[in-house]
This record gives sequence, structure tokens and C-alpha cells, in this order.
Amino acid sequence: MVNVLAYGAYIPVWRLSRDEISKASSVPSAGGEKAVASWDEDSLSMAVEAGIDCLTGVNPKEVDGLFFASTSPPFREKNASSIIASALDLRKDVTTADFTNTTKAGTAALKAAVDAVKAGSAKKILVVAGECMVATPSSDLEQLYGDAAAALLVGEDEGIAKISDFFSVVEPIPGPWKRSMDVFPQRFESKLDLRYGFIKNTVEAMQGLLKKHGLSIKDFSKLTFNAPDPRGYFEIAGRMGADPKQIQDPMFKNVGLTGAVHPLFLLVAALEKAQSEEKILCAGYGDGCDAFYVETTNKIEDLKGSRRATSIYLKSKRMLPTYEEYLDFKRLREKAQPERPRASVVTYWRDEKMLLPLYGRKCGKCGAITYPIERCCFICGEKDNYEEVKIARKGKVYTFTFDYLYGPGFAYGESAALNPSIRVVADMEDGCRLFLELSDCKPDPKEVYIDMPIELTFRFMCERSNFRFYSWRGRPIRE
Amino acid sequence: MVGKIKDKVAIIGTGVTKFGEIWEKDAEDLLVEAVYEAVKEANVDLKKDVEAVWVGTQYHFTGMSGAIFSDPLKFFGKPVTRVENFCASGMDAIRNAAYAVAAGMYDIVIACGVEKILDYGGRGLPLTGLELHPVFGMPSPPAMFALCANRAFKVWGWTKEDLARVAVKNHYNGARHPKAHFRREITVEAALKAPIIAYPLGLYDCCAMSDGAAAVILTRPEIAKQYVGDNYATIKAIGMAVETLEPWYRPYESFLSFPANVKAAEAAYKEAGVTDPLKDLDFGIVHDCFTITELINYQDMKLCKPGEAASLIREGVTAINGEFPINPDGGLKCFGHPIGATGVRMTVELTRQVLGRAEGLQVKNAEAGFAHNLGGAYTVATVTIIGRP
Repeated sequence: MVNVLAYGAYIPVWRLSRDEISKASSVPSAGGEKAVASWDEDSLSMAVEAGIDCLTGVNPKEVDGLFFASTSPPFREKNASSIIASALDLRKDVTTADFTNTTKAGTAALKAAVDAVKAGSAKKILVVAGECMVATPSSDLEQLYGDAAAALLVGEDEGIAKISDFFSVVEPIPGPWKRSMDVFPQRFESKLDLRYGFIKNTVEAMQGLLKKHGLSIKDFSKLTFNAPDPRGYFEIAGRMGADPKQIQDPMFKNVGLTGAVHPLFLLVAALEKAQSEEKILCAGYGDGCDAFYVETTNKIEDLKGSRRATSIYLKSKRMLPTYEEYLDFKRLREKAQPERPRASVVTYWRDEKMLLPLYGRKCGKCGAITYPIERCCFICGEKDNYEEVKIARKGKVYTFTFDYLYGPGFAYGESAALNPSIRVVADMEDGCRLFLELSDCKPDPKEVYIDMPIELTFRFMCERSNFRFYSWRGRPIRE
Repeated sequence: MVGKIKDKVAIIGTGVTKFGEIWEKDAEDLLVEAVYEAVKEANVDLKKDVEAVWVGTQYHFTGMSGAIFSDPLKFFGKPVTRVENFCASGMDAIRNAAYAVAAGMYDIVIACGVEKILDYGGRGLPLTGLELHPVFGMPSPPAMFALCANRAFKVWGWTKEDLARVAVKNHYNGARHPKAHFRREITVEAALKAPIIAYPLGLYDCCAMSDGAAAVILTRPEIAKQYVGDNYATIKAIGMAVETLEPWYRPYESFLSFPANVKAAEAAYKEAGVTDPLKDLDFGIVHDCFTITELINYQDMKLCKPGEAASLIREGVTAINGEFPINPDGGLKCFGHPIGATGVRMTVELTRQVLGRAEGLQVKNAEAGFAHNLGGAYTVATVTIIGRP
């Protein structure tokens, strides 16, 4: 039997009111708000955040594999999972894979993880999904899409929930799609996609699962799945003969639809509230459908309150004041851009341990913890006598500035002042000094001040030399 | 360390170009202008008398090394050394040249500096190559010093008005210097209203991007007399220290004092026999790349106790008619900061003040003073003390 050992989730701090979108696009407002990734976040960086949440109290060196799922990976060629595994400080002898190109990718990754554990090739696998989908401005999809990430740690140990065998169907339904060169999703006839894709496949997979396990829909406390629009949830409830109360809140009102993340995201939300011995059905639709269920154990209580997951991250939010700022975050409007110099991918590769899992050094002689890792101690000068240590993730601001001359990620030139860099010297809890750029706040001395508590957040730092560089920034503590 | 430089090196010639946005001249033109002004003042023959050259420059000509100087002046067949040490490149060129003279290797040498910042265009200093790392990039120079300002505001209660007073004082002096880039007085109100460059530093807290060149001619005092009679000054001390380029990663870094400053000042004061600069010296020139830097420099140069620099500026102690004038020329605030030229220009100003022939405001009874040059992220500090022989 394969079990869920831990869960985690991430919702970016920024939210955009659908009324604001409606005002700008003249598409009627669907009400509520959607979660919007910051300009320096993407599916990969948010997956790391969900992974951090999931691995709270878990030794990352015990994890044997990492699968990443997304329809919006930042690279077309280059595994996001390899970067995520490093950022989460997994061992180097682990298996990694990216599951992509369909909203079913989240459940497909989970199925592969479960199968690997079942086959004995791995004891624990972390499945992370991140989604940062971009819809055409003024299209109806624009209000539907939201950005979020989810993570599940599965393994053979006793866990918080047992995972059932999967039941899957496949269907080469046309839409929606993106060709390799497309930025925005394409559709031809969404009614066909809905009827012969989403509804047919989801019902087939759910019914197949019930039959396979000899269960009735009434046996489940919650149904968690992704739908192409909010009405889809009621449609499935009706066709499956489920009470609408059994449908897990799809969080359309406050997050939006999050593609490949959504089935796992809703499953995490259900697990956060679940009691022991509940059955939760989960299905992931996209070119077919995967269905499975989990049955919680009495260990479910052990995890409560230990993770931020959807409950904390939902409450910790700031509204984007304007639709224009949303367009800037998504790089969807023409605007003066700063210059950026070439950056070396070679130094990035060499400094991986400092930049991704964020290790510093602890001097073997004087004990000082410093960053970055250098051969001689910053304090006592002792040479080649240190251990590599992971830097504390929380600290407070020692001093700060708002740099209008050089923006984040070494933006400079005439337009750099449009997005100043919030720079802080921070004393971390282990005594290490870090020099960080802050995200998720504004260059305002009321928001950023000496002694302000901060925590680290994984972000992309810049795009230079046609590469996207990831590392850590600071942010106000989200709780 | 046993070597002493005190009174072993004389400055017999000084030259400095107009500083500013000099679009129509290149670095070669500026260097020729500064060097020939110094050569004329020293009554030396460039080709016959000058044996070696040190030239400070950060940006321009990088990769051209000694040819920086030999090509524009057609000064061939002799040693020329390029010195690059961030914003203290100029004064470090002088330091190297002075030691060569003191060691008896040469009789007459030139130390000079030049920078042509405006040719690079854009806002702020040109890039250095440190930005090649995709994550450990440097903050902008104003941001480096703004980190200190916010800390000083918190710890000592200094205010933006205190910073503005530094700008107002230096603009008052610079308005009266014919070679300054900015020759107009400003008000505290104008400084406070200026746009923010790196919070809390506004436009008037920052020195400008300027072009310029400066040169000095050094020899031993016994030779000096042959060329200029008694019309020379001598170097009393040179102190220099290099710290880190990454102060923000050093635990316990206070951002309220620059350790390189303190060590360079201590070394220079010790060599010159200065125990209380306010009594033993008459004035000073400090590296006011930003207004906050000038205030921290007061403290590091032991003009007052930590936290008291704001009182000095409030009470006018460092004004031109104050007890201890600082930056009587208007400083970097009014001259701008053509990197390699600055430390040399400061030394030219210091020498001319001591000799009673300042081009701008003359400090009364100026017999000895110091010039302080700071570079990098408070990384390199050089302090030179000059007086009458």
C-alpha cells in the first residue's frame, strides 16, 4: 500500500479582483478574485514553495525522487524537476521527471510516483505541481485562470492517508491546446471539449474507479477534481449522483482554476480539513482522466496546523491595485524595459549549492556562519576549515534601501527606476548575514523597516543570457 | 613596518581640468590638459625630466594599461603603470608614485588620473564586470551608502535634513570654484524635494556623473627647490587599507563606520604625528560621493565621536568659515566623480590650499590638511596628509 505522508500548497500573495479585470476588458465579472504570481514567480518557483511547505519536518535526504507537473513550465527543454530537487536539498541520486502538456499532468505525476513506490524503485517520492498559466487579455479564460502550487509526499511508510489503485481513460479531445510557439491557449469548440472531453472522461474515470473498488459515490466525503469552468463541478455532481456538498470547494472565488495543479490542490485542501477514515475521491482531467481515492488514517491529525497549505496561504494576501500591474506581472503590455547585462551560466552552475539549496559555511575554528561559501573565514581568516550548512530561513532586517538605479536582477538604465529593488541586509536566525532583495512588498518605509521580520522565498532572479536564474529573495512573513 | 614617507616627497606641480559633462573632449585630451598644467607649474620638461608615471583609471582604456598615458602624451620608452582601485584609484596612483620617489628609484615622476564617464551614457556609473554573476550582483553605489543612512537614522536619529545640510554646504563652496561641475548654491528645501535615487538618498545626496583629469608631479624636497624654489608642499603621511567588497555579507558589519577608513586614518595620523586632527590640522577633503558618506567620514577621521557628525554639520563646524572646513572646493558633490581622477584632484586641491593658491575658496591659514579617498563598497580607503615643508 502506498500512502500520502505529507501535503503542502502555495498560493502567491497577490490577488486580483475580477471586477478590475472586467472594468478593463468589458467581459462581465465572474465575481471574487484570482491568485496572481508575482513578476518573479513561475510554475517552478511556486512548486518549490509548495515543496518546502510539504517537507516541513521531513528530512529531504530521505526523499528518493521528485516529479514536477505543469502545463506552464518555464523551460521547453530543461527539467524544472532538477532545479526544484536542488532547491529542496534532495540527494543527487534521486529520480526526477517533468510531467507536462496536459492538465492531467498533476495526477499523472502522482500515479507515476505511486507506481514507483509500489514497484519498490523508491521509498518516498515528492510530487510537486505548479501552474502559472497566461490567458489572452480580455478572453473569458483570463478571469478563470489562477496561479498556485501543490505538493504531496508519497511513500510506503505509514501515512496520513492510503492511496488507492488508479483508474485511467484516455481521449485525444481537441481542446484547449497550445502549439510549441503559442503563448496563449487555443480552442475551436469549447462545447465539444466540455461534453466529450471533460464530462465524459471524468465520469468514465470516476465510475471505473467505483466499479474497480466496489464503492458507491456516497462513500466519499469529498470529490476533488479539475473542471474547465466553475459550472463543471455541478455538472459532475449531477451526473455522478453526488450531493453538491460532497464537492470540495473549487476555490474559484478566491484562487481560480489552476490547471494541472488543481486536482492535487483541492485534495490538499480536503486533507487539511479531513478527519480519520474519510474517503476522498480525486480526478485529474486533460486528454483523458486519472481517478483514484485516498482514505485517511488516524495520523491525519498529526499534520494539522503544521503546514501553511491552502488555509494559511489563502488568508495571507494583498490585492493588486490595478489591472495594469497584473499585465506587468505577466509581461502582457508594452512598457519601457530596463537593460540587463549578460550573466554567466558558468558561475551559476559552479555556485549551485549556495544558490539553490542555499548553503553557507560554518567556520571550524571560530564557528561563524557566513555566506557565500569561501575558502577563508570572513571573520577569522581560517583557511579550508569549515562545514557547509543550510542557512536559516527566517531573520530580520538589519538595514535596507530602495534602489531606483539598479532594479531586481541587475536591471539598469533609464527604465530601471520603474521597478526599484528593495534591498535588505538581514540577520538570519543562525547569525548569518544575507543581502537580499525583497518581494511581495512595496518600496515604502512603512512596509520595510529595520528589525522587520522576514523569511526566504524561492524566486527567479533574472533572465539574462537567455537563461532564467533561480535563487532566494526575502519577503514579509506569511502567516 | 619601518618605512616613513614624512617629508621625503614634494609636490611641485599640480594640474586639473574643468570637471563636468565634457562631451567634446576625450580622455586623452583631458589627460594632456591636466598633465601640461602640472608640468608648467613644476617647470619640468615632460620628456627630459619625468622618469616614470602612475595613472589611475577605472573604466576608460581598460586593457590599454600603460598606454593610457604614453599614447596621448607620446611619452615613450619609460615606465608607466596603470592603477585601478575603485574610486580610490587616483590616490593609490599617487601613493605608488610617492613610494617610488621616496625609495630613491626616480627623481621626478607623475601621478595622474582620468575618467570619461559620460561617454558610456545612461544613468549612474558604467558597469564593472562584477555583474557577470547572475545572483551576487552589486547594488548601485547610492544603494550601498543608503544602507548606512537608514542605519544612522535609526541608531543616531540623523535625518534627511542633516544630509541636505552637507549638500548645501558643499554647493556653497563649489559655487565659488571655477573648475567645479556644479557652480550653484542649493537650499535644504530643494534637496529634500529632489527625487529619490536610493531611499533615503535623493538626487542632491548623490554626486554627479562627470568627466575630468588631474595630475601631480612628485620629486624629493632637495630637488624641488631647483624647479620651484619654496613653492612646494610635502607629503606628511599616506595611510591606506583595503577591506571587503561584500560588507553586507560580513556578520557584525555596522554600516555606521567604514573599517577601511578607520585603519587608513589611524595609519596616516600616526605617521604624521597627528593626535587630534582638529588641532593638528587645518582642514580636510573627504570623499563625499554621497552626503551620508561625508558624515560617516567625519567620525572615521576622528573629527568627532560616533553619532556626532550631524552636530558638526548643523553647527557649521565644517563650513568654509567654521573651525575645521571640510571640502572647501565643493567636494564630489560639486565636481562629480570621474573615478580615477578624483583622488588626484583632491590632492591637487589639498596642495594648492596649503600653498595659499586655491582656485576657489581659500581656507584661512591652511598649513596642513588631509585628503581622504574611498572606493568600492567602502572597500578601499586612502588618506593623504600634506603640509608646507
